[in-house]
Amino acid sequence: MSDRDRQGAPRQAPGWQPSNWQAPLELEPVRPGPGANEATPQTEPTGDDAGKFANLSLSHWNWTVPGFIGGVLALILVALAFDASDLLSRAFASSYAFGAAVAGLVALVVIAALKLAVDEVISVRRLRRIDALRDEANQLLAADGHGAAGAFATTVSRFYRDRTDIAPTIETLNASINDAHNDREIITLIDRQVLAPIDQSAYNSVLRASRDTAIATALSPSAALDVVIVLWRNLKLVREVATLYGAKPGRFGSWRLMRRMLGNLAVAGVAEGLSHVAVDALGGSIAAAISTKLGQGMVNGLLTARVGVATMVLCRPVAFTAENRPGLRRIRTELLNVPKEVL
Amino acid sequence: MSTKFPDWNNLAGFGEKVLDQALGHVGTLAGRMLEGNVRLGVTGLRRAGKTVFVTSLIDNLIRGGRLPFMDVVAGNRFLAARLRSSPDRSAPRFAYEKYLANLTAAPPHWPAATSGVAQLRMALRYVPGSSMRRSIQPISTLNVDVIDYPGEWLMDLPMLNQSFADWSALTLELLEHEPRRQIGARWLHWLSTIAPDKRADETATKEGASLYTDYLHACRRSQANLSLVQPGRFLEPGELAGSPVLTFCPLPLPEATARPGSLWEVMSERFDDYKHNVVRKFFVEHFSRLDRQIVLVDVLGMLNAGPAALHDMRMALTACLEAFRHGRGGWLSKLTGGQIDKVLFAATKADHIAASQHGNLKNLLDMLVSEARNAIRFEGATVDTMALAAVKCTETVTTEHQGRKLACIQGTPLGRQKPTVLFPGSIPDGPDLFPEDVAQPYRFMDFEPPAGVGRDGRGLPNIRLDQALNFLLGDRLV
Ligand SMILES: Nc1nc2c(ncn2[C@@H]2O[C@H](COP(=O)(O)OP(=O)(O)OP(=O)(O)O)[C@@H](O)[C@H]2O)c(=O)[nH]1
Ligand SMILES: [Mg+2]
Repeated sequence: MSDRDRQGAPRQAPGWQPSNWQAPLELEPVRPGPGANEATPQTEPTGDDAGKFANLSLSHWNWTVPGFIGGVLALILVALAFDASDLLSRAFASSYAFGAAVAGLVALVVIAALKLAVDEVISVRRLRRIDALRDEANQLLAADGHGAAGAFATTVSRFYRDRTDIAPTIETLNASINDAHNDREIITLIDRQVLAPIDQSAYNSVLRASRDTAIATALSPSAALDVVIVLWRNLKLVREVATLYGAKPGRFGSWRLMRRMLGNLAVAGVAEGLSHVAVDALGGSIAAAISTKLGQGMVNGLLTARVGVATMVLCRPVAFTAENRPGLRRIRTELLNVPKEVL
Repeated sequence: MSTKFPDWNNLAGFGEKVLDQALGHVGTLAGRMLEGNVRLGVTGLRRAGKTVFVTSLIDNLIRGGRLPFMDVVAGNRFLAARLRSSPDRSAPRFAYEKYLANLTAAPPHWPAATSGVAQLRMALRYVPGSSMRRSIQPISTLNVDVIDYPGEWLMDLPMLNQSFADWSALTLELLEHEPRRQIGARWLHWLSTIAPDKRADETATKEGASLYTDYLHACRRSQANLSLVQPGRFLEPGELAGSPVLTFCPLPLPEATARPGSLWEVMSERFDDYKHNVVRKFFVEHFSRLDRQIVLVDVLGMLNAGPAALHDMRMALTACLEAFRHGRGGWLSKLTGGQIDKVLFAATKADHIAASQHGNLKNLLDMLVSEARNAIRFEGATVDTMALAAVKCTETVTTEHQGRKLACIQGTPLGRQKPTVLFPGSIPDGPDLFPEDVAQPYRFMDFEPPAGVGRDGRGLPNIRLDQALNFLLGDRLV
């Protein structure tokens, strides 16, 4: 059959990419190979070593600082171990029961420390995976091809597999994708169906946090307290937002994230300089001009908002597009209501 | 005080209630008045896929389960769609239920070719996107009017702007070239036996018209699948079957001015009669006040039929589209007064090729309609092109063939029972569509609708129907 069908094949047709031209033909109705037919391909291309992807924030890996910190930490650990063994032997010497109690305490400390460490490692890995996902999405969008994004959709669904709140949207996503969608369309679907609802909740978190900071710092009596409030609320916000996107940061991880994000306010495209923040806040409201305290509150609120939005940008597995990039406009109008509420 | 007016609070409550009710009434009244209307013109030459498109559009809007790219659906603002009786009673209702039954029958089959005009109104209920609009009107309605008609009738549209002499000259010029010359040989022979300025004799007139009709039928049947066949009612007479309006044919211009009663005069009168009482009536009734237009183009069918068919289709499309009012221009508007501000060109039956080829199909369509598109843009309307399938009948699968990976499709070819996997050929991404040394480079097959289609209750499976609808109606559903 295929012989007859191939009769019309050209030998050298100009402009027809002769090397890969293929005449129409009918194949045996065998099982099709693994193809682009459903959004359930098996491979998961991004493993945990995905950190090797170009990263939009982690600066060049330099061994000196981590080497120094790691060395110091290791030394402290060794010292602690010696101390602990010393402590244990002395406790056992005094009485068996006392020794057992101390041993239990030491075990608790060690296990808790291990758990913390493991959590941190997991959280760092998840952040790296998000970076890798975003890179992959960008590559797929740039290539504008067909057939590769099904695997990406699977990776994203797997990334969110233990999130019961996202499960319905993932289900909708899997039902929506069919073999005719090209890569760009599939990524758009992921963006709209899975990530847009998360964006919504994240934005609400940011809104709440920025109002909180604005009001609290406007009312707080001392500048030192301001700093504490801002730091604490921002850290909490970063954790909230990162958790919403599935980054699950640990305590230490949130710090890292926050540091990384502060360093990236510019990259994230939200910061137009702090002076701008002040102009935003002061220019909009006479009340703010009257009360410096109020003004400070609003600056802090806006700063928090920026931190929150930057976290959204950093934690999103698919980069925001020009259309859905979260803006500060709503937050700004919200903040302008703060003076009325406080006064 | 409180003893004097024991019901003061209640009174206030009562007043509030009355006010509320009144406001509610005003709200619903305003809501009625604010109901949007969109007339969607589904344009397409014969067999382009209009009937199937309209059926799938209705079914998908009613069930709403396969439209992820419609913003109103993605934003969870879409409530429901219902069929409504059309305010215009001049045409029968579009038999959506019948066509859907055809497609979902066991075994499924395609709707038959359309032989008359039909229309339908659909009401879409949705929640407005902006809180401002929501506060005025918590639930909005958009009425969408669609009509379906035989594609042949569309070819009458260019005639509206022509005199009998113009039309005759153009038609005869077409007949000078192959494949038309061959197909029309018998009618051309008849033409050589008559003199248009001699007295008309009714049997000769009838014979000419009937030979010309045969010629049109042969064009339609021909391997070249010709599109530019006029007048359309000769092929699909609808309610005019056997009517004397349909007894004319183009004639060569007589040397001297034709005397009254001559064949030329008689045919010319019938042509004008046809133009005014059939064509104009149809377009004024149904194509007036179009707001949006989708132009369905069966690019793949034309590639199958070869360069002559493709060329013919381009001419036919250009001639038809000139008439519409896009933005500010277009002479059909002088009759109707509508203004189309969005036009979508869609290559239909995209499921006949592997999905990885859709990009090339879209580019090819872009190229084919580039002139019309630029003209429409120039007039200020928005234009887009797309490759779509109203009813998706195949799956794209990858198979290994002689050591190469091929993007194939799996489906049941028309007339067969069992699904098969085939490589339908590819669409070049350059302008060289028909290389000299390949006898028949394209052989895209038609497919049966898949068995059990639409059984999942989510609407007929489709390719990019949602994106098409979003382009056409999205801004009216905000
Ligand atoms: N595979 C596939 N085939 C289609 C699709 N749409 C139309 N077809 C095929 O095209 C044929 C014509 O479709 P119709 O919708 O009847 O075309 P039409 O424009 O209404 O034709 P007229 O009524 O003659 O003007 C159908 O019988 C199908 O074989 C589609 O989405 N997918
Ligand atoms: Mg039809």
